[in-house]
Amino acid sequence: MTAIRKICAVLLFLNLCIGSAEAGLFGAKSFVLENGLQVIVIPNHKAPIIKQMLWYKAGSADEESGRGGTAHLLEHLMFRGTDKVKGSRLNDLLEQNGAESNAFTSLDYTAYHQSLDISKLELAMALEADRMQNLKITPKDFELERDIVFQERKQVVENNPAAPFSESYRRLLWQEHPYGRPVSGTSEEIKSLKIEDVQNFYQKYYSPANAILVLSGDIDESTAKNLAEKYYGKIKPQATVSETKFPKINEALRATLKMDLPQINAERLVRTYIAPSYNTDKEAIYNLSVLSKYLGEGETSELYKSLVLDRKLALSISSDYDFASRSHGRFSISALPAKGVDPADLNKAIDEELAKAVNSLNIDKINKTKNKMLAGLVYLLDNPFEAAEIAGRMAAVGMSIEDIENHADNIKNVTYQNVKKAANKLFSSSARIDGILIPKGEK
Amino acid sequence: MAYRRRKSSSLFANFIKFAGLTAVAVYAVWYGYERFVAFNPEQILEESVLKEKTFASQAQEVISPRHKIKAYLIEDNTNPIISISFLFKNAGLASDDAGKQGISNVVAAMLTEGSGALDSQAFKEKLENLAIGISFDASLDDFSGSLITTSENQEEAYRLLADSLTKPLFAEKDLQRIKEQLYQSFLIQKEHPNSILNLEFAKYLYENHPYGRNPLGSREAIARLTGADLNEFLQTHLALNNLVIGVAGNIDAQKLGPVLDKIFGSLPQNAGINFVRNPEVNFSRGGKNINLPAAAGQNISAFATPGVARTHKDFYPLYIANHILGGAGLSSRLSKAAREDKGLTYGIYSYLGLADKSPLIRGGFSSTKENYDKVVSILKEEWNKFGREGATKQEAEDAKNYLVSSYNLRFASVADLSAILLYMQKDNLGLDFLQKRNEYIKNVSIEDINNAARRYFTTENMISVNVGQF
Repeated sequence: MTAIRKICAVLLFLNLCIGSAEAGLFGAKSFVLENGLQVIVIPNHKAPIIKQMLWYKAGSADEESGRGGTAHLLEHLMFRGTDKVKGSRLNDLLEQNGAESNAFTSLDYTAYHQSLDISKLELAMALEADRMQNLKITPKDFELERDIVFQERKQVVENNPAAPFSESYRRLLWQEHPYGRPVSGTSEEIKSLKIEDVQNFYQKYYSPANAILVLSGDIDESTAKNLAEKYYGKIKPQATVSETKFPKINEALRATLKMDLPQINAERLVRTYIAPSYNTDKEAIYNLSVLSKYLGEGETSELYKSLVLDRKLALSISSDYDFASRSHGRFSISALPAKGVDPADLNKAIDEELAKAVNSLNIDKINKTKNKMLAGLVYLLDNPFEAAEIAGRMAAVGMSIEDIENHADNIKNVTYQNVKKAANKLFSSSARIDGILIPKGEK
Repeated sequence: MAYRRRKSSSLFANFIKFAGLTAVAVYAVWYGYERFVAFNPEQILEESVLKEKTFASQAQEVISPRHKIKAYLIEDNTNPIISISFLFKNAGLASDDAGKQGISNVVAAMLTEGSGALDSQAFKEKLENLAIGISFDASLDDFSGSLITTSENQEEAYRLLADSLTKPLFAEKDLQRIKEQLYQSFLIQKEHPNSILNLEFAKYLYENHPYGRNPLGSREAIARLTGADLNEFLQTHLALNNLVIGVAGNIDAQKLGPVLDKIFGSLPQNAGINFVRNPEVNFSRGGKNINLPAAAGQNISAFATPGVARTHKDFYPLYIANHILGGAGLSSRLSKAAREDKGLTYGIYSYLGLADKSPLIRGGFSSTKENYDKVVSILKEEWNKFGREGATKQEAEDAKNYLVSSYNLRFASVADLSAILLYMQKDNLGLDFLQKRNEYIKNVSIEDINNAARRYFTTENMISVNVGQF
């Protein structure tokens, strides 16, 4: 239906995904090969299909300053051939064998994946293992792909009329931290990239011990073990990667970014707090996950009820908490102001309603929230492709398989007192940026 | 002589021996290289421990005991989950009354805003607490819905779905809120160039035909809608004689029969829907450029030529032909020519658009202003060349292999399964379609593909809208 409702549906689903399980979230098994490659197996025998995902624990946050776009350009070049599998042969082979193959680059990780018939899995494993060690980057391919990622940035980022706002907003929020830089790199950075940049990134980060293999589908643990050993086991281990050092966050940061842009017709309001992540404060993430659900995930949440239904100041409002990052996490609240409502007034009203909602927290309310988060556990067992993505994403930022599988138990153990404490700390002493986007020429 | 002969024969013998040994050595090195060093996909697949399996699930037809409501079912007991997909044929946006454009959208939103004794909040609380998903959607042609539930909460889920279809509250305050949200969607819809392109292309293709309408409807018409209008829509659009149902998951045929009666039994027998004629597209108009001064990055283009319906005899040949030209991602001819070999675009593609009343071959691409003309000429060149010369044998084989091998990927979730069952019925593909589909693909010959290419791929009939800076 409307864009608003679709976004809500997606958020609801993600929440469901991240918040459920009884005998383990996915029934995933994990083991490590001698060369350091971690393997996660998620058996699902509904259909004879499987998804292979290879996650490298390196993304745009690991790029050197000024070399933005390196991780992403390398991701593209991984499809341009190796010493053994030349040119477009990887694409052609996967295509001939019915695989859906792609890749994505994020701040913290880069992932390569193929969904395919179970009988073709070994081919995909052989190809993926080959390009972990034998990538060949020719100057011609490098230049072609640099042009393509330049086009990609134009199409995916710059063609979005809200992009200048979102990019400025992230820079302001994260300051010197690499999370403030665009994953694609800026247009200027892309143009200035050199073949050595991607070669160095590949040499440094693409190795078994810095990667996670996820196999999710019609396979059992022992077969997965044999095959992982057969295709990836022979890859030589490399010296351990020195972890990227992230700069400190200035917790006193408070500012508002207000921008008017052409092509924008509707006002938007957003605020983001730099929040604990799995890696900075493991205990806090369960409290904040429940808090986010309670405050603003779905149309029965507190902020939706108070600001959309009762006070009619917003047409939609939602919160979003992301703890799955290698450095800090973030907690956001975004809203569309109702017609005639000044975004700044809505922002004040959000402060009031946040305080009310947090103060009125009690056992009953927290139990209701937790029940909603835990009701749909079993859906996670349905789609092997989605399971691979969710489990892989959590593992790629360093979550142990136990913490992934026990996520629901950890949510169950959350108390309202702890949620309250976590909320007060988050809202009073975290770096925070408010953002207001309005149509060009509006005040 | 003898000596020489002997000598020469000995030389000859030595030569043979040497050549033989060399051949053996070369062969051994070659064999070793191929076997142990070179990448050998055939061997990997041949020696694979994981063998091909057919997707075992069989679709069956279920008829409910009381109201004789028909559904296709795939029973799958892997997980305690049940998915029901359903649609009401011809009840989509295109058949909205001219003065009520957007009503199908509004009804789709309002059906989950409370029913029976439950107001909007109580209804949503219940869905969330029981992890039941109910949603409705209006597409161009049909009005569709879906239910997902755990086995444990299924009875409550069926009751809630039945109530939302037959006893919706349509409360004034909820209607007002949905309208306000839609007004905002009208604004947001005109922000992103992609969204502007979609709107403009539909208008250009279909002009005054309902297919040319804004998919959100008309703001003015939506503003006028009342609860009574929505109730009338239900009575006239959601009926047993235009209902199609697909079910998958943890439920058997015997159990499903009465469930169908329970959910859909109180719907009216016959729908009374506006007839929508087939549009007459004037394909000879060529392209239209729309300047968007604020567009910061790219020119984007959407194009179309006449296609064929799902049940047309040329469907499979054309489907395979299109896969080769523009459907195969990075391996398609268009992608190889414009992206992989020249780096001029991030994406160029084509696909078969299967709207009930206007089947098309559709496509699109984007590029910077500087590259735009080059991409247009590559598109035209490749398109016409494919029309003239067709595909190579190898391309046809590769495409068929892809389409056959990738078919099982469509069965990843029970919701995917129930949706496939729905479209099998809508398009009259038969109960045994899942078993036969790969044969349909395999049986298409290179001649069929190339005849289809000749018949359908020419830019003479190509119509396009382009948004950006020209």
